[in-house]
Amino acid sequence: MKRFAQPASFAAIFLSIYAVAVQGATLTVTVHTPDGKPLAGAVITAQPLDTAVRSAPPEHAAMSQINLAFAPDLLVVPVGSTVEFPNNDNVGHQIYSFSPAKHFQLALYRGKPYPPVHFDQAGLVTLGCNIHDSMLAYILVTEARFFGRTDNAGAWSASEMPRGRYKITVWHPRLRDAVPDLEREVVIGDSDRAELDLQLKKSLHPAPLQDRPHSWDTY
Amino acid sequence: MKSLYLTATLGLLALCTAAQATDWDFDIDARLLTSDGDKSFLDGGLGSLRFGENRSGLQLGRARLALTQPLGELTSLHLDASAWGDHEKNPIDLTEAYLEYRPYPLAGYRARIKAGAFYPPISLENRAAGWESPYTLSSSAINTWLAEEMRTIGIEGQLEWLGTRTGHNFDVGLTAAVFGWNDPLGGVVVSHGFSLHDRQTGLFGRVGPPGVEPLLGRQPFHEIDGRAGMYAGIEARYLDRVVLRVLHYDNRANPAAYNEELDDYAWETKFDSAGLRFESAAGLTAIAQWLNGTTYIAPGGFELEWPFDARFALLSKRIGPHALSARYDDFNVDSENTSLKGKQSGHALTAAYVFEHGPHWRLTLEWLHVTSRDWNRTIYLAEPTFAVESKVELAVRYVLHGNH
Repeated sequence: MKRFAQPASFAAIFLSIYAVAVQGATLTVTVHTPDGKPLAGAVITAQPLDTAVRSAPPEHAAMSQINLAFAPDLLVVPVGSTVEFPNNDNVGHQIYSFSPAKHFQLALYRGKPYPPVHFDQAGLVTLGCNIHDSMLAYILVTEARFFGRTDNAGAWSASEMPRGRYKITVWHPRLRDAVPDLEREVVIGDSDRAELDLQLKKSLHPAPLQDRPHSWDTY
Repeated sequence: MKSLYLTATLGLLALCTAAQATDWDFDIDARLLTSDGDKSFLDGGLGSLRFGENRSGLQLGRARLALTQPLGELTSLHLDASAWGDHEKNPIDLTEAYLEYRPYPLAGYRARIKAGAFYPPISLENRAAGWESPYTLSSSAINTWLAEEMRTIGIEGQLEWLGTRTGHNFDVGLTAAVFGWNDPLGGVVVSHGFSLHDRQTGLFGRVGPPGVEPLLGRQPFHEIDGRAGMYAGIEARYLDRVVLRVLHYDNRANPAAYNEELDDYAWETKFDSAGLRFESAAGLTAIAQWLNGTTYIAPGGFELEWPFDARFALLSKRIGPHALSARYDDFNVDSENTSLKGKQSGHALTAAYVFEHGPHWRLTLEWLHVTSRDWNRTIYLAEPTFAVESKVELAVRYVLHGNH
């Protein structure tokens, strides 16, 4: 056990106390399925409604292909971000999307021969491999200022949120609820924290089958 | 045919020096078995198994080399060659050889075109590389029949609506093909009836030794009447859980056409088939397939017709690298001949245990029990029509993949 805490820890503790006391509040969004179970991995976006705000700054992300699957199989990135698609398998992949938000193709490749792909339009981008039909992944390109994904308790939190009204959206590939049921407005008022618990109306689509050998999908 | 075989073999060799990297699969499968079955079709008998009692012991299951060669961005060449270790005309032969054109999906639709020789989209159990079943060693009666004497040699087009890529939970695809060089199709099911095994006839191969009745070394992949056959089908999928396949097949052969060199007629064979596969998150798979058709020849003004039908249900449970499967098959060939030539009926039970040890090794233990009445046994071999055959077979397979 260390006798003294690192200076960085002191700084972090100080900053978080300062943030809560002086600046905004903490927003927590929790998503539950109709049977009351927490939904992990759901994408939450929070967009301020009172002020004209820019989206979050662009990022650079990677979506690999490992063992004939995308890893991760879901990314959420701000508009203007770039994503690279390194192939770590020893077979070639041919990645494509025909989604309106980003239409692109990467001709058959191994390794990392291409520059990152630029996602300059908000929307859902569904990805596939033209060689391996079972491969499926999503990139959600968002204009929202704040976003993230729920943890195993079905919760996503953001601290230092400026006070005001927000439009909250929930997305997950297995959702069956209609879009209006997945949007809420919350107000972060004078309190230190605001909470939203969204209970889905419809049960989820079944999850993709796990650990089925890929060699079974030849015919 | 000899020159074609040579061309194909040279083509295989030429690929090794092609520009883009070639993906290859190599696997070798050895068997240890005990069988009380009749002599199999490979030895000129009418047994229902691949290995009869005379073949108990150590056997080669299959040695296979498959290549996939990209040709440009959207086209690829697939060659699948196998040796089976029996008295085949060619010690190594192709089971499939085709070009596939796969343009990128557009606006939710995907088109595919295959040209060459390949299996029609019927089987829901032979889903693994080499058209093998991951559940059992021996295919069902339906799919064994396809392996023995059916291949699409022509062009197949497929158009799919990709609902699962556009926010829905199902996909629907339509398939249609025009083909030739399969006019003898139907001759094996009439001469020998349905069997259950994993022996696929090569594109330049024979079924049974030549000169031995009733199969007479039939060569199924030939054109006799110059008329193209057709099939059309539909495939619907619910997520990655359920697959439904329906197909109508008609080789549109002229049943009066005869080829002297082959000593065979063009068998007019048509059938409908349907299959459903269901998979659960708990590693459970259920497959049911059904097939119903007729085959017809008209030698010298006679009209000879054999209706046939077969079905099976398979249940499999996978726990990690282990899988246990059970299948029940039922099959019938009716004869409208007074001699009852070609009439057969039977059913079979299969149980198999598969253990996948890492990416290279697979061990399978299979028990297969077939009960059948085959009137050809009395007509050609002067044996009782009724036979009960069973075998226990252990298979060890080693697989290698790579690219160059």
